[in-house]
Amino acid sequence: MDYLATKYLRPRKIPSTACSGCGLGQVHKKVVKAIDELGLEIGDVVWGTGIGCAGRQTFNTWKGDNFAGTHGRVYAITTGLRLALPPDKKIILTVGDGDAFGIGFLHLLNCARRNVDMTVIVCDNLGYQSTGGQYGWTTPRGIHTDSSPYGNYENNWTSEGRDVLNILREAGATFLARHTSLQGQEAVESIKKAILNRGFSLVHMPYPCVTNFADRALGSRKPLVIYKWFEEHTCGLKDKGPDDFAFRTGIYYDASNTRPEFSEYIRNFVAEVQRRYN
Amino acid sequence: MRKTLDTGNAAITEGAIIAGCKLFAGYPITPATEIAENMSRRLPQIGGYYVQAEDELTALHVCIGGSLGGLKAMTATSGPGFILYADPMGWALGSEIPLVVVNAQRVGPVSGITGAPGQGEFYLSRYPTQGGNYETIVLAPNSVQEAFSTTVEAFYLAERFRMPVIILADQLVTDGWESLSIPETPEEIEAMGLKVIPRRIKEGPEFYPATDEIDIPPVVLGHNTGAACSDWTPTPEGYDTEEVDFQHKHAYRLIYKVRNHKDLITRYESYFVDDNPELVLVAYGSPSRVVISAVKQAREQGLKVGALRLISLWPFPDEIFKVQAKYLSVELNYDGQLVREIQRAVPKGSEVHFFGKCGELPTVAELEELMQALLTGKEIQARNWEWEAW
Repeated sequence: MDYLATKYLRPRKIPSTACSGCGLGQVHKKVVKAIDELGLEIGDVVWGTGIGCAGRQTFNTWKGDNFAGTHGRVYAITTGLRLALPPDKKIILTVGDGDAFGIGFLHLLNCARRNVDMTVIVCDNLGYQSTGGQYGWTTPRGIHTDSSPYGNYENNWTSEGRDVLNILREAGATFLARHTSLQGQEAVESIKKAILNRGFSLVHMPYPCVTNFADRALGSRKPLVIYKWFEEHTCGLKDKGPDDFAFRTGIYYDASNTRPEFSEYIRNFVAEVQRRYN
Repeated sequence: MRKTLDTGNAAITEGAIIAGCKLFAGYPITPATEIAENMSRRLPQIGGYYVQAEDELTALHVCIGGSLGGLKAMTATSGPGFILYADPMGWALGSEIPLVVVNAQRVGPVSGITGAPGQGEFYLSRYPTQGGNYETIVLAPNSVQEAFSTTVEAFYLAERFRMPVIILADQLVTDGWESLSIPETPEEIEAMGLKVIPRRIKEGPEFYPATDEIDIPPVVLGHNTGAACSDWTPTPEGYDTEEVDFQHKHAYRLIYKVRNHKDLITRYESYFVDDNPELVLVAYGSPSRVVISAVKQAREQGLKVGALRLISLWPFPDEIFKVQAKYLSVELNYDGQLVREIQRAVPKGSEVHFFGKCGELPTVAELEELMQALLTGKEIQARNWEWEAW
């Protein structure tokens, strides 16, 4: 990270204020590595974040232009920003699971429907950890958290045959992938593909939370315990995984550059209206 | 100059186009829907973008995003949508994003009556988001022609003060049909007393100066200046902070950039207030037109009454309430909102009264009866939700 950090990140946020053992740094590094491997410069990217662990830890780490939106709204802001910025400017968003799959899900679905060019990296620590550890929309059933003291009784977006990526695909997303933060170059390759897609891309990246999730769910704050739990619950998209809960990883859907991108479409539409009626 | 007969909704649309608006995001709602419809027709003709949002939260956030990228942006709604702006409005105020928000007030609370005028969002326009520590700029037209000029002015003030500016109209102004003159050349725009300035771009990495300065270009992303802005309390560089010292500086800026330049914002009309009238009627928006008619008529009958018509509502123009007199606030609500500010602003020894209607305008006859009663001290029979002595 040192070379990448010096090249792309602001020194004020290094080291990060994330908890010891947090997997968010692994996700962050993969995104920066993907940017570097694509040969992008600081001025090529506008970086957006939300709030919560992912938002606070990745806001303003990027040396170039960046912004943070209120919880779940960054996709709507990006829709407007996309119309204002030149088409070749990359917009990369690092958001949390609550931001993307809870409070911001309506905006996310509509951005997928419109195929707005943005790369959404969902940094998923399996619940609301910055507020102390409440269950979220990817917390496995039965897991104990501060707001599910007897075990989480809610159905979530990523188990029992459901996969939030199915919904996003149906909505119109053009690139979808999932990798855990523990995975290596294959995750970086997916992020690169997501950035290169001129359209709505989302990479779902579950990562370990040692301080809250591991403590309540697994009874230990030893990083090794949750890292092991992650490995045991990770499988390929089509593999038979563990019975109770699995992070199904790989490129879920790649229809890069096959659907018209929102801002490009609207620009052409406006030009056509001007040609016909003026 | 193009002369036409049209609605306030059309006037607002044309005002926005003249002011250089290039992005409108909105969600259909009566009685502001026609602004969205007109924008969907007009903006593509001038190379602008219309986005029909999935809800009002999205609408204002899309406008914020567009403005962050350097486009002049506007959205329009009515009360039930305006309350959803509470979330993004804080973002726009805190990050000093210039844009224009139109609220065509209808009867509330909640959905109320869709096609009847109300004035229930007077205070909501002063405090449209949580957290305090800011001032708002709110303008209130009372005619179709003024809806046009107010919109041009709102964009001008948004740019100079780098903040959202709210146009607090009502259903009679937005749906009403009147003659409308639209300037077509820069000379005609100037002759109407209107100013248009381009969307400016901040150079350099600093986000804000901790001063009351205005005319500082706002943050625009995409120019690789290292610009940063967020919903968190910012440092002057735009970085997020938990330090209270920076909160003081930020709050000072958000409050005093407006208060200390109030003279650039305050607009009102006064009628017969120079000869120390015994009674002054106060109103804004469509009821002010009945008030002005009633006061002119009363003067002809020899009653010593005057009127104040507020065009800028916030920051509240305390200084125009100079005369010690009886005051009567005439509003399109039953609970009395403007009246509380008048009560606060008037000189000692003044009396302040309230007359509320909702969903329909008061009549000249009703106001005449009230003026007579207030001047003679006579008690009047009225339904208790319409009339209240303060």
